[in-house]
Amino acid sequence: MRRFDLITPEGTRDYLFEECALKRIVENRTRAIFKSMGYSRLITPGLEFYDVFNRNSRYFPQEELCKLTDNKGRLVVVRPDSTMPIARVVATRLKDASLPLRLYYTQPVYNFAPSLKGRSVEINQTGIELIGSSSRMADVEVISAALSVLSTVGQEVPGFAVSATLELGDVRIFRELMHRLNATPAQKEEIRSLIEAKNYPALNDLLDTLGDNSITAALRKLPTLFGGEEVFARAAEVFNDSRIQEILDSMQTLFGTVSAIAGDVKIMVDLGLVNKTDYYTGLVIKGYMEGYGEEVISGGRYDMLLSEFGYDVPAVGMAVNVDAVANVIGKKYSPEPEPADVLVAAQAGCEAAAVAQAEQLRAKGLCVEFALDAEDAVDFAKAHQIARVLLVGAEGVKEVRTDE
Amino acid sequence: MNKPLRIALTKGRLEKDTVALLERLGYDCTAVHEKGRRLILPIPDGNMEVVLAKAADVITYVEHGVCDMGVVGKDTLMEMNGKLFELVNLGFGKCKFALATKKDYPFYDGFGVKTIATKYPNVTRAFFENKGMDVDIVKIEGSVELAPLLGLADGIVDIVETGTTLKENGLEVVEDVAQISARLIVNTVSLKLRQQEIEALVQKVEEQIND
Repeated sequence: MRRFDLITPEGTRDYLFEECALKRIVENRTRAIFKSMGYSRLITPGLEFYDVFNRNSRYFPQEELCKLTDNKGRLVVVRPDSTMPIARVVATRLKDASLPLRLYYTQPVYNFAPSLKGRSVEINQTGIELIGSSSRMADVEVISAALSVLSTVGQEVPGFAVSATLELGDVRIFRELMHRLNATPAQKEEIRSLIEAKNYPALNDLLDTLGDNSITAALRKLPTLFGGEEVFARAAEVFNDSRIQEILDSMQTLFGTVSAIAGDVKIMVDLGLVNKTDYYTGLVIKGYMEGYGEEVISGGRYDMLLSEFGYDVPAVGMAVNVDAVANVIGKKYSPEPEPADVLVAAQAGCEAAAVAQAEQLRAKGLCVEFALDAEDAVDFAKAHQIARVLLVGAEGVKEVRTDE
Repeated sequence: MNKPLRIALTKGRLEKDTVALLERLGYDCTAVHEKGRRLILPIPDGNMEVVLAKAADVITYVEHGVCDMGVVGKDTLMEMNGKLFELVNLGFGKCKFALATKKDYPFYDGFGVKTIATKYPNVTRAFFENKGMDVDIVKIEGSVELAPLLGLADGIVDIVETGTTLKENGLEVVEDVAQISARLIVNTVSLKLRQQEIEALVQKVEEQIND
């Protein structure tokens, strides 16, 4: 029989030393940002009932879920997303809590990716959910958190600078157009996927079969409407409609606000962000960092999701792909393992005194290691760049410095 | 100056057609012609770099963003199903996916589950799933036409250009599955971060192929 006891499953990995340190840089920074904005951490279980994810507003392909059954034979999945479980918690245990609720999480999600494509099954995410407000300020708050992450995530890293972009979209424009389009659900889904893939030729071919009117003309243009602020002027020419113009105007105002707080982060807009797997109902955001081929941040407004769990409140949030950001930082920086400050060596019989000595130094914030072979302590310290050695003996403590 | 725009080309005929297209646009592709065994080649005046790869790898490189753009056949795109932008139908490299059987074979008759031999299991599965038909799919690496002749499969799903190979082996097309041609694909992040360069190039390409 073949045993798999020396490797990890495809798409998972052990994080050691540098990789761990890079992840910590991202997690610590994002946590500091979220905490300073008044968010409380929550932890949801790694296992959830499949039913939590089997909803109308977001589609999780069956083949991507890690499924198992519990001891009663019920279908359980390893958490593929953190927002759905948080919606579940809020709609149940936090139903009577005062709003708004500000929650953040740092935990992995699991999705089986196609084999051998260099994709991870386990993705570490950290993110925020702001629940209970549909106000413009709520959108701005979440966007400002995303901007802080993009602009300061590498601030501890000496000399780290990478250009970042934050992109705004709004799925309501697409929904409005679809609402008015006379087509079958299958055709509508095909149109959505072609807009998502910016597949202009196939989109045009499909729309040719649906007649030439202002809706099909607008749909043809929708995926091309991305870029800087000039997009709004271009969009106004394409959409001759007061409802859509209203959405565009509110987006443009938001664009102005966000640009004013963006600092070095470039702000873009894409009216063709229409992802099938999203529960978003309005604002959509994506964050990009130079040197990574996918978005590192994604989020948006999901006003209908909580009502599916029986609690009708609006919400907005975003998640950071910690592994992706760590990967970007790791391309320019490799964290050095830090040597201990002090090595404490105990002569035979003086182990208790050595431990007491070490505890005293640790209480002052120093990193103190024990020499496991007291004879060899000074050589060991030299080899491992430990500056101070304390030799604890029957007649007291003697200090040797190795950096002189 | 920015990093050069990296374009992955499918080695072989699509590479030649794409290089010809780039030359018609006025780019100096000398390095690509004199490539020797090198796989990354500069197009100096366009601030571009050409990477030569197999079709499936073009998609992988573009999807991961290590290449910004790529030229690849719709056949491979349909089989691989990557997350990328498919901006332009370049028009060359035309052929089609078709379902073929032995001549006069009653493929759709009877109630038995049919067996299909193919190099493209995902395309085949999607095609029959849309028909609500259960089929057994056998993946074949070489000449798929052999499978029905040897009695392994009821039919094949394969790329058909002229149909000569089918005819010479006593096979015929039962149904077209999809039309195929070369596509210009772009990484989803590159299109945003290098929008001006990419849109300018795409526009030139579109003008050229529409002429």
